[in-house]
Amino acid sequence: MGPVQGPIVVAITVVAVVLAVLGVASTLARRRIGLLHLAVAAVLELLLLVQAVLAVVRMAGGDTPPETATFSGYLAGIVLVPVAGSLWARTEQTRWAGTVVAVTAAVVGVMIWRLLQLWEAPRA
Amino acid sequence: MREIRALGEPATAADGTAPGRRGAGRVLVAVYGTFALAAGARAAVQLSTKFAEAPVAYLLSALAAVIYIVATVGLVRGGRGGRRTALVAISAELVGVLVVGTFSLADRAAFPDETVWSVYGQGYGFVPLVLPVLGLLVLRRTAQKSPPKSPPPPKSSPPPSP
Repeated sequence: MGPVQGPIVVAITVVAVVLAVLGVASTLARRRIGLLHLAVAAVLELLLLVQAVLAVVRMAGGDTPPETATFSGYLAGIVLVPVAGSLWARTEQTRWAGTVVAVTAAVVGVMIWRLLQLWEAPRA
Repeated sequence: MREIRALGEPATAADGTAPGRRGAGRVLVAVYGTFALAAGARAAVQLSTKFAEAPVAYLLSALAAVIYIVATVGLVRGGRGGRRTALVAISAELVGVLVVGTFSLADRAAFPDETVWSVYGQGYGFVPLVLPVLGLLVLRRTAQKSPPKSPPPPKSSPPPSP
């Protein structure tokens, strides 16, 4: 049980849900994404980076999850998702920009729980 | 100059030629990009760490990853070539998810480990089954819109300014 992982996973999930709701809202309001979306995405990215550093520190200390390769892949992949999503949505001029943000937020929400699952798998 | 609002500027109508760069197509590309990443990473892990356990399943994983990558690139590039590439890749994807999904149910032994397409993409919330259908719909819709350039689609017109 990673003591550092539980609370931050919940925080990441909450921020991801907020971002997804904001994205859907801007699509429904027929607007592009705004500073609010970018700010929340930045908070999400910050949390993901903190979480990645904590996990890397733990792994460097010898506490590696059994499926190390998959875990590392998720860990590296998840920090790219909000960045790629924000860049891809920012240049979109139609109302679908918000849906792009919502999709990437949902992806983070799924990936973070898969990460936790991989981390909490019993050590050999 | 328009005021930059925290909630975003009013949206404009879709334009451009690449199906993946306008409107709903951009959402599709975001999802395809995610699956290219997910399937690619999964295939890389499976092939590099335990290829001998289930070579067929893992090679299909890799094939799925390649198809997602090709579809993403085709949608983003657009044009005649890009559209055709996307059409071929998405059709292959639809066949793949149906065939692999069926085989994974019929013959569990041949698919001991999960692939993106196992049980019609159950491990990914069945998104792999829905995605090619949406992809083909977007390709078809943008193809119908492309030739007449003059009349802009009325349904996503910007709201009247206050």
